Amino acid sequence: MLTKFETKSARVKGLSFHPKRPWILASLHNGVIQLWDYRMCTLIDKFDEHDGPVRGIDFHKQQPLFVSGGDDYKIKVWNYKLRRCLFTLLGHLDYIRTTFFHHVSPSFTLKMASLSDVISVFLSCSVLTGHNHYVMCAQFHPSEDLVVSASLDQTVRVWDISGLRKKNLSPGAVETDVRGISGVDLFGASDAVVKHVLEGHDRGVNWAAFHPTMPLIVSGADDRQVKIWRMNESKAWELDTCRGHYNNVSCAVFHPRQELILSNSEDKSIRVWDMSKRTGVQTFRRDHDRFWVLGAHPNLNLFAAGHDSGMLVFKLERERPAYAVYGNMLYYVKDRFLRQLDFNSSKDTAVMQLRSGSKFPVFSMSYNPAENAVLLCTRATNLENSTYDLYAIPKESDSQNPDAPEGKRSSGLTAVWVARNRFAVLDRMHSLLIKNLKNEIVKKVQVPSCEEIFYAGTGSLLLRDADGVTLFDVQQKRSLATVKIAKVKYVVWSADTSHVALLAKHAIMICNRKLESLCNIHENIRVKSGAWDESGVFIYTTSNHIKYALTSGDHGIIRTLDLPIYVTRVRGNSVYCLDRECRPRVLTIDPTEYRFKLALVNRKYEEVLHMVRNAKLVGQSIIAYLQKKGYPEVALHFVKDEKTRFSLALECGNIEVALEAAKALDERGCWERLGEAALLQGHHQVVEMCYQRTKNFDKLTFLYLITGNLAKLRKMMKIAEIRKDMSGHYQGALYLGDVSERVRILKNCGQKSLAYLTAATHGMDEEAEALKETFDLEKETVPEVDLNAQLMQPPPPINPLDTNWPLLTVSKGFFEGAIAAKGKAGQMAADMDVDAPGGEGWGEDAELQLEEDGFMDAQDGLGEEGGAAKEEGGGWELSLDNLLSAGAGGGAEDGFFVPPTKGMSPTQLWCNNSQLPVDHVLAGSFETAMRLLHDQVGVVQFGPYKQLFMQTLSRGRTCYLGLPSLPCLRGNPQRNWKDSGAKQGLPAVGLRLSDLIARLQQCYQLTTAGRFEEAVERFRAILLSVPLLVVDNKQEIAEAQQLITICREYIVGLTMETERKKLPKDTLDQQKRLCEMAAYFTHCSLQPVHMVLVLRTALNLFFKLKNFKTAASFARRLLELGPKPEVAQQTRKILAACEKTLTDAHQLNYDPHNPFDLCAASYTPLYRGRPVEKCPLSGACYCPPYKGQVCRVTQVTEIGKDVIGLRVSPLQFR
Amino acid sequence: MAAQQGDVDELFDVKNAYYISSYQQFNYIFSSLQPSTPEKEVERDMFLYTAYSWDSQKYAVVMDDITASASPELQAVKMFAEYCSNEGKRDAVVGELDKKMAKSVDVANTTFLLMAASIYYHEMNSDSALRSLHQGESLECLAMTIQVLLSLERVDLARKELKKMQEQDEDATLTQLSTAWVNIAVGGEKLQDAYYIFQEMSDKYSPTLLLLNGQAACHMAHNKWEEAEGVLQEALDKDSSHPETLINLIVLTQHLGKAPEVTNRYLSQLKDAHRAHRFLKDYLAKENEFDRLAMQYAPTVTV
Repeated sequence: MLTKFETKSARVKGLSFHPKRPWILASLHNGVIQLWDYRMCTLIDKFDEHDGPVRGIDFHKQQPLFVSGGDDYKIKVWNYKLRRCLFTLLGHLDYIRTTFFHHVSPSFTLKMASLSDVISVFLSCSVLTGHNHYVMCAQFHPSEDLVVSASLDQTVRVWDISGLRKKNLSPGAVETDVRGISGVDLFGASDAVVKHVLEGHDRGVNWAAFHPTMPLIVSGADDRQVKIWRMNESKAWELDTCRGHYNNVSCAVFHPRQELILSNSEDKSIRVWDMSKRTGVQTFRRDHDRFWVLGAHPNLNLFAAGHDSGMLVFKLERERPAYAVYGNMLYYVKDRFLRQLDFNSSKDTAVMQLRSGSKFPVFSMSYNPAENAVLLCTRATNLENSTYDLYAIPKESDSQNPDAPEGKRSSGLTAVWVARNRFAVLDRMHSLLIKNLKNEIVKKVQVPSCEEIFYAGTGSLLLRDADGVTLFDVQQKRSLATVKIAKVKYVVWSADTSHVALLAKHAIMICNRKLESLCNIHENIRVKSGAWDESGVFIYTTSNHIKYALTSGDHGIIRTLDLPIYVTRVRGNSVYCLDRECRPRVLTIDPTEYRFKLALVNRKYEEVLHMVRNAKLVGQSIIAYLQKKGYPEVALHFVKDEKTRFSLALECGNIEVALEAAKALDERGCWERLGEAALLQGHHQVVEMCYQRTKNFDKLTFLYLITGNLAKLRKMMKIAEIRKDMSGHYQGALYLGDVSERVRILKNCGQKSLAYLTAATHGMDEEAEALKETFDLEKETVPEVDLNAQLMQPPPPINPLDTNWPLLTVSKGFFEGAIAAKGKAGQMAADMDVDAPGGEGWGEDAELQLEEDGFMDAQDGLGEEGGAAKEEGGGWELSLDNLLSAGAGGGAEDGFFVPPTKGMSPTQLWCNNSQLPVDHVLAGSFETAMRLLHDQVGVVQFGPYKQLFMQTLSRGRTCYLGLPSLPCLRGNPQRNWKDSGAKQGLPAVGLRLSDLIARLQQCYQLTTAGRFEEAVERFRAILLSVPLLVVDNKQEIAEAQQLITICREYIVGLTMETERKKLPKDTLDQQKRLCEMAAYFTHCSLQPVHMVLVLRTALNLFFKLKNFKTAASFARRLLELGPKPEVAQQTRKILAACEKTLTDAHQLNYDPHNPFDLCAASYTPLYRGRPVEKCPLSGACYCPPYKGQVCRVTQVTEIGKDVIGLRVSPLQFR
Repeated sequence: MAAQQGDVDELFDVKNAYYISSYQQFNYIFSSLQPSTPEKEVERDMFLYTAYSWDSQKYAVVMDDITASASPELQAVKMFAEYCSNEGKRDAVVGELDKKMAKSVDVANTTFLLMAASIYYHEMNSDSALRSLHQGESLECLAMTIQVLLSLERVDLARKELKKMQEQDEDATLTQLSTAWVNIAVGGEKLQDAYYIFQEMSDKYSPTLLLLNGQAACHMAHNKWEEAEGVLQEALDKDSSHPETLINLIVLTQHLGKAPEVTNRYLSQLKDAHRAHRFLKDYLAKENEFDRLAMQYAPTVTV
């Protein structure tokens, strides 16, 4: 039993849950009715109008009403919104035991049982009579017109009240009835009839209740028994009796969803009974309080029980689903199935059925992505009986009917993965075991006392003891760090495991990887769950809120919740969660607030500014927040009010902004404050302005003095004189060292002797004399002049300070800059809009057209030999290997150490396993590779292959580091690693046909651009690479052949064109030769784009040569290719011109109608039937004299060499 | 040097950082460590100096710090440092070592055995290396034996040695690493296990170049080139001239079908920075071999 809420009060006699809100009404023995919020744990209201105990209490399902009935014979109907009793119903002549609303009838109908031997139904105007002792309880059937009542006459009766309903259809009648009630006598007695009388209890029956859906009744009686009854239309009978209470059973109810009955009794216990087995399942006892009443929540898994000193709200079992998140996957347990939810696709599938056998739900889950295995922990009521199951999740699963793999079950409180193939189990002795995937104990670890373990990344665990959590390294068997926090229930790691949130019942602590506490948050309401969002904000839920917490400790509410949820993941503004029914849900939240705060904490001011400008964030609270958190410069950005602006500016020391604000405000106080702030910064120009504005002459004078501004100081003296400020005036003179002025001042203010002395001391004799004369010698004495007096002159300023005091150059804060640049931002944005004129790209994507044909068949026969050779190699190598290991084994036994001989390296195996040249190159066996190339495609000149060989070799071996300070180890990636076994390895090739084909495009572009020599080079590189391919099927073999053909055609054509361009064109013969070559070029098979260009060249040349007939044929061919409109138009013109005189002026060695091959060396046509020598690789044709020379196209092969043929696939050897 | 079962190994962090080549971590831990006994202190210093030996800037520290009166363990380290730092002296050091090995060797001085084996391994004299390691039974000796055996392509024997290690301490970092090496060599299904070991360690400690390259090697052996790219990019960000990373990138870029220029850039980077690396030595040797072999072929008719 999980107690959610407890109250202390007088004896609770009645309870009623609100159907929607988290409220419960408790009616007390002392006449008070309390309205509690059990989620917030607060008393919402009290209703105190009854005299004496209130036993009947019920919420109305739709309206803000409830009804109560008490021992004062009164029924009261209340409106909790108005917080008052609406009306009181009188009529019962004895204690009222229960009161209920009829929840089907649209008008409210009340019913109650009273201590008299009648059941009366108010408003529906009926009194049911039949019991012959006090009626203890009466309730409506949830859907039918039935009432069940329990009485001290030891019977339970079922009443049919359909007559009553009919009579009561008009709502108008109800109104009048409500007011017209004055006594029982008014009601007829025949509206309700007894349907069944259930006899079986030996004592008075205290409670009877219908099952919410089935035709069952439960009753509890003073004979200490709980009885279950069944009824049908005609009869009702006793099904079973639950014995176990040892005092009067006061109340019994059906569990609304499970096959359970709850009963409570004066024996101070609540018992839970299994309905089908009729056995006690659980018992909860209190020490001193007898139980009096039970209430079940209509929708939620909540119950309430009232006892002698209060009540408690509880549930029978945890509703938290067991779940685990890995990457985009959520794994959770629902109805004995392990389900998998893909967050991205929202695909929810059952992957596995769990083994049944535990009556307890799965408590927690730990998922291992490497092995795709789960640990499911089950907690029993008695902790020591807890178990865990280890399951390997089946790879393939039918979602409708998933497999039920055999798990491994052992006892243990908690099991958590600590490594890919290890998990830790906290056993019932609270010691820690490390087990492997076979569920065998690998080692036992001594741990500090702990009561729960949590995941903490690979090799570590979090151990919880009574008052803290310890980070424990399982491998080193030592504690790494400890943090104090009481009773942590859940632990949530961030995705990169840099932070962890420890969730206790009412507290959250966020720590870093080293378990140093970063912040502590206290919650008044229960903390339920949490998850880290991708930006490092912890999003958590309490019973009724989704909240956020930054690692800096800032936290707040994001939104409210109706029902508790369990957060599984947070992405952007989506919160993925499971509800209590285990349904995956996605809630949307507004992340602006925490994003803003996060950006502030991380000092990402541009982000802050963006939000400031675009999000609706402005408000007093945000300004206050910013100011409080020490971001006045940010707050400054929000503020328009000059006064706030001024004080914020001062706070962040932004004198310019403050000055601006002060000018706008123009208040004395402001200027004073600004003056002080500016003085601190040495900003004396502003200080001067402030002093001027506040007319603070003393300070101003002093400012001028210390800044050495004598001119202004003199002016100040003048001002003082005008203001008749003697002392100021004198001070000014003193500062300036102006003696005559001083004398004058002293004289003017009647200080004659002082004036005289001043004059005399400073050697102003005339003045002194003049003054001396004014002395009335009889009355006054001329003061004695001190001869030792020295002339005191203030030192003249060496360098008057005009500029402000130099400040350290601090880069302007982002916000100061932003404030200043506010106006300019728009312009910059506009600048960026200027669009660069887009060049016309190479739109022509000449696609390689490939056809599948079966010409490979002929070559199949050739493969046989190779296969045989391979087998032979295998056998030989096997015997050698045996020999080797035998030798090594013998050496070790003898005690003498005989170092083992070198083994067979994978690269050697590659050579043995393959007859493809590239495999040999990759293996580093150049010798054999060259031989193969020589034999297969007739390569005789390997120079151009060097680069290819070296590159290929270098991709054959990876490396990884072994022990530090030793050379690295080599890895050999193999293309058939899955099924190679130890001996059948073949290297990963790394050269793909598709890549080569892709490289063609580049060559085509070069061709189009007219960079023929480069293009030829590239084509040749592709051509030479083809023999180093490995392909899988016949189609690809054909494609490879075709690739060679394409390269050949281009190379021949382009080299001929290059050659042609070099030729002189002075004589007619030379011109004829040029035309011939141009004509041959049109017979190379090229892409249409290129063919258009070639044909145009040929057309022009022939037209110029006046060979109009041939020119016309070119023109027609050109038009067939569908060139661009302007080209087409031009061509048509030429064609028209040609057709006028359809003759050739000169005889050329070119016959377009007679098919020919082109000799790639002499560039002459080789008409069909003439002897031809071919290049074994490229297939380029040559006149017979060239036999034995190096092919012009490939530059590596020998013309006319007798070879096996191109081999690029193991298929060709079969 | 094997960790005693049961009690806490105070040098754990140092060793760990050393084995996964996490040098920053290493220095940090080192400075905060206070060994409880003089033996531990020697052991600690040993790790430090071995780590310093290859660093051209720091080997002088090793030479200066280890005086003639230092323990025999440290003397062995000094010998190794001498070998590493000065290419000219190598033959002399090896000669001296040969003499020492010919005499009876203090088998308890595991460090000496290790250092001797390291030198022989560098000299590509795997027989002597194995002979030296054969006398020790510690995890370190076994791990090095495995590495030598793997370089000899004797996976079968390496597995036997690994079994011995697993019997000693299955969860030790060295055992785990050795398991990963052997698994890579075995290939097939075992590659995934190897990958997980590297992955797990980088999760647990920090992703070092050693671990990242290990992961990359696994990925590449799996033909998962895109995944390998990510890992190697991370390694490259940590150290742009790390030779093994560059070698792996040379392999990778080709398998990803990138332009040859990309590959060549890494190759020339490698040539610039690590001329003496074994890979380049092999590479140059192969180039010569190619030239030699190419001479054997010629067209029948030359023009």
